Amino acid sequence: MANLKVSIGGVEFNNPVFVASGTFGYGNDVSELVDVNQLGAIITKSITFHPREGNPPPRIIETPSGMLNSIGLANIGVDQFIKEMIPYYASLETKVIVNIAGSSMEEYLNVLEKVEKVGENIYGYEINVSCPNVEKGGMEFGVNSLMTRNLTELLRKRTEKLLIVKLSPNVTDITDIAKGAKEGGADAISAINTVIGMSIDISSRKSNLATKFGGLSGPAIKPIGIANVHKLSSAIQIPVIGIGGITSAEDVVEYLLAGATAVQIGTANFRDPGIGVKIIAEVDAYCDSNGYYDMSELTGALVNDS
Amino acid sequence: MEMLAPNIYEELQGPGQFINILVDESWNIPLRRPMSIAGANRDQLTIIYKVLGRGTKRLVTKLRGDFLNILGPIGNIFNQDKFNNHHPILIGGGIGIAPILWLHNVMKGGSFQHELIIGAKSKSDHFLKHQPSRKIYLTTDDGTLGIKGTVMRVLQQVVNQLYEPMIVACGPAEMLKVIQTFLIDINIPGQMALESYMACGLGICQGCVVELTHSHQEKHSFGEKFSLICRDGPVYDISRVRF
Repeated sequence: MANLKVSIGGVEFNNPVFVASGTFGYGNDVSELVDVNQLGAIITKSITFHPREGNPPPRIIETPSGMLNSIGLANIGVDQFIKEMIPYYASLETKVIVNIAGSSMEEYLNVLEKVEKVGENIYGYEINVSCPNVEKGGMEFGVNSLMTRNLTELLRKRTEKLLIVKLSPNVTDITDIAKGAKEGGADAISAINTVIGMSIDISSRKSNLATKFGGLSGPAIKPIGIANVHKLSSAIQIPVIGIGGITSAEDVVEYLLAGATAVQIGTANFRDPGIGVKIIAEVDAYCDSNGYYDMSELTGALVNDS
Repeated sequence: MEMLAPNIYEELQGPGQFINILVDESWNIPLRRPMSIAGANRDQLTIIYKVLGRGTKRLVTKLRGDFLNILGPIGNIFNQDKFNNHHPILIGGGIGIAPILWLHNVMKGGSFQHELIIGAKSKSDHFLKHQPSRKIYLTTDDGTLGIKGTVMRVLQQVVNQLYEPMIVACGPAEMLKVIQTFLIDINIPGQMALESYMACGLGICQGCVVELTHSHQEKHSFGEKFSLICRDGPVYDISRVRF
């Protein structure tokens, strides 16, 4: 048994395997199938101030080694979230991080403040400034370093809890945005959100998604995730949580070597919502058979030969 | 294809429900394939599929004795209580015949009077017999078996001969849309099972929504405009769906 515990912004997690926002619902939908308490953390589906219907169908399409989605931040809104989910989270042993999306600084702030008042068992917030599928889903923050900094700063003043900023790869320089988040007081960066993509049905000559563009996820984007995590961990001194195409313990190790402190499993949950729990056991076995007493030895242990 | 699935069989509620099959353990085929259950008997489930895309091409390579990763049973069922005092007309088209066949067999077993209309492109797509005397009507687009034309041709004829008919349909969206328009015009009730792209089948991806005609907050859907087919469907009242 290796030590899998990781610490991010003063919060200790039992292991580095989290589930990514939007790929695990609020956790309750799968709790009959999966022992969610074994997960390092659950990141909730994005919460906005008002409920959101989401985008018209078709919303998803399979692509080589991945999928495109354009859900459009469909969610129950912060009030219903507090009413229905906070009591459920109080019954969990795993740590819950609330993902917040918004179309204005005020919206992010209003959601955070509402959760802050009641969420004793909420360990932190992941700020979504990178949803590619809605016109005003925070992306205008996520492509601008100064706006990311201002938003992070505003939220930092209102919470002592863990503050993670989730970044998009659909920018010219992700480290520039990350620096803004760090200057604003973020405890950690999570990356990457989905990569903008498109797929066309050649018989109807229409896009396979109603919104035309969507976000690409799954193993297809793993090398993009690895590259961005490595860039980020080299450029900023706060922990990076790696996301993008993780389906196995080997993928987790790869992200750690690239510089991640923890990881989030995304699309793989759709095939098997229990994959995270399986991967935790596999990571443990990997550490044992490779002589790592502490999994954190792997973080940033990339060998630079050239 | 028949599969031994005792755990799923145990939780099965009835026609309308489906399973979500991981046809390939590798990521060559990333998403599960939702398949309507076409029959269930002694721990065994039957599915019917046509080899069309990559998923079904992979599925057809499975051999007797192979293992498949299946999630299910998923979804709601045709509401058979509503059949009371009605004469059901079951309509299946294309690959949407599976739940209709299951319902047909359940009703046949219970000696419940009903009509069955199955439509397909051509004779080779059918595996039932065209037996109007037993109220089983087959149609083909090319006229190679049964009645030439679509299921609408039969429906328009039989619907007028029955007392208090009620329609139960599953098939391509274009077919369901035509049936819906026809039924609303003549004020006849019905239910239909929808199909959709789907990633999880659990409600966590929110990918498989259908737009509703009237705002209604469903149990597993995040709003009043869209309904999540995997958790709040796949069976809907025919007037509730906006195509």
